[in-house]
Amino acid sequence: MDKWLLAGSTIMVVLGGGLGMLALQRGQRSHWTVVCMLAAFVLQLAFLGLRGEARGACPLGDHGEKLAFLAWSLVLFYLLVGPTYRLSLLGLFTAPVVVIFQLLALAPGMMTNDPEHVAEVNAWGEAHSAFSVLSFGALALAVVAGMMFLALNRLLKEHHLSTGLFKVLPPVRTLSVSVVRLTLLGVIILSVGMVSGLLMEGGGLNAHLVAALIVWLGYFALLVTHYTRGMTPRRFSLGVIVLFVFSLIVFSLV
Amino acid sequence: MELICLGLNHHTAPVGVRERFAVSEPKLGEAAGELVKLVGLNGGVVISTCNRTEYYALAESGEDGARQLREYMNRHAGEDIGDDHVYAKAGGDVARHLCRVVSGLDSMVLGETEVFGQAKRAYQSALESGHTAGDLNRLFQKAFAVGKRVRTVTGIQEGQTSVGSVAVDLAEKIFGHLRESRVMVIGAGEMSRTTAQSLLSRGAHSIFVTNRSFERAENLAKELDGEAVRFDDWQRVLAEVDVVVSSTGAPHAVVTKADVEGARRKRKFRPLFLIDIAVPRDIEPEVGEIEEVYLYDIDTIEQIATEGKGRRSEQIAVCEKIIEEELVKSGLL
Repeated sequence: MDKWLLAGSTIMVVLGGGLGMLALQRGQRSHWTVVCMLAAFVLQLAFLGLRGEARGACPLGDHGEKLAFLAWSLVLFYLLVGPTYRLSLLGLFTAPVVVIFQLLALAPGMMTNDPEHVAEVNAWGEAHSAFSVLSFGALALAVVAGMMFLALNRLLKEHHLSTGLFKVLPPVRTLSVSVVRLTLLGVIILSVGMVSGLLMEGGGLNAHLVAALIVWLGYFALLVTHYTRGMTPRRFSLGVIVLFVFSLIVFSLV
Repeated sequence: MELICLGLNHHTAPVGVRERFAVSEPKLGEAAGELVKLVGLNGGVVISTCNRTEYYALAESGEDGARQLREYMNRHAGEDIGDDHVYAKAGGDVARHLCRVVSGLDSMVLGETEVFGQAKRAYQSALESGHTAGDLNRLFQKAFAVGKRVRTVTGIQEGQTSVGSVAVDLAEKIFGHLRESRVMVIGAGEMSRTTAQSLLSRGAHSIFVTNRSFERAENLAKELDGEAVRFDDWQRVLAEVDVVVSSTGAPHAVVTKADVEGARRKRKFRPLFLIDIAVPRDIEPEVGEIEEVYLYDIDTIEQIATEGKGRRSEQIAVCEKIIEEELVKSGLL
């Protein structure tokens, strides 16, 4: 049942992305993209709820659950940030990322069919996992906004102004501000996750935490440079993308 | 009863003739009243814009009504202006013509939107002063509905067709709303003035004007409600602005890569939109290589405007088809 819910939410995201793409070709924005993403979010919640209940803990017990949780946090931030910054097009760029994560989660061997009920819950450990994955939702969305910025920047610099993509992308300033704010939000949540990690029983400075610290320092340096010295939006966007890819590689190794 | 229309526009009459028929907006109701006083006319609406003055009336006899209107126009001009400048429409052609006018198909700038509002206010004035009747009401109401549909369904108002509007559109694509955007104008010529006015009309925060002759900079700054800057001081202002419009008559580059590089730190690498509408160019092309700079010269902007015009022209046939369908459906043709 739980996997069907995740599959259903994947279909909704595909639908939202597809409708957005069709509207994009006509040089318009699709309001249905937001509706589909909302439906996907509800299905994701139901999936995570069932898995959490089965585990008796945060549903982050296997790779599949982690990927699903990451996809959920992406959609969560999309819904939170989208209307605020009028970035409904963000859904179009978010959709493929969410679909990839969820398809990977549904792939054979990624998710246990009968999650084991944990004997004892480590509250700090749960908080560490949840906040860390949640932060990567915000940081992934910053990557998406950064890619949108880079696409628009290129079109503007090279004077390619008649494409459908150019017409529907939000303004440069809106995108660059979004990249910064999402990164800041991600770093704040990641900080909470790291503190939780240090406080959890049996925690301490292990390889995982050192990797997290390096990633956190990278983002922190990027933000400090932006707020003090200043940085071109292109470099900030590239920095956000590079750091995210770097963190994915590092965490897959430790 | 027959619908008739007599008028003159930018296609048929030069401005020297058109201006003699211009009616200010507060007097449109009164002008409609003058039509109703003519023998055999039972209702009237006068549309007057900078490109046209048109008299719409409901006549007992189309031929007599047209003659009455023609004599009225001569009286208004103080002489016989001849037939070359005036066009006359009757019956279904009146409906077709009005639909074309409110859809922007008959405008100097194809697809422009202002004429729709002007025609609506002209009709409203005539309606409020009690000078419209029966079929004339039906005609205008249908024309507004058709005009709205044409603008919604087709791409007749898509894209920009002038240097100023292209510049404003690009500025909005970079900065979103322009409320927080500061503009610097280098050179106090006509092109600078119109482009700066376009940016101001869309809400630009403030304007700085610099020119080799400080007096001319002051005059333009006063006109634009901005601030004049001495020519040897514009590099300092560069750190504060978001948009630069340059249009001087200098034979060499005025804004160099070094100038912009020098301001980058102070600007904290914020995006900078440079519009170079001078020939020869005022801004070194190498400035466009700077990451956060978006540089557009006159050729690029005019190319965008030409593409916009081309796209609108392609829509004319689609618009006319909609007009015909709608008028046939409503029985006005």
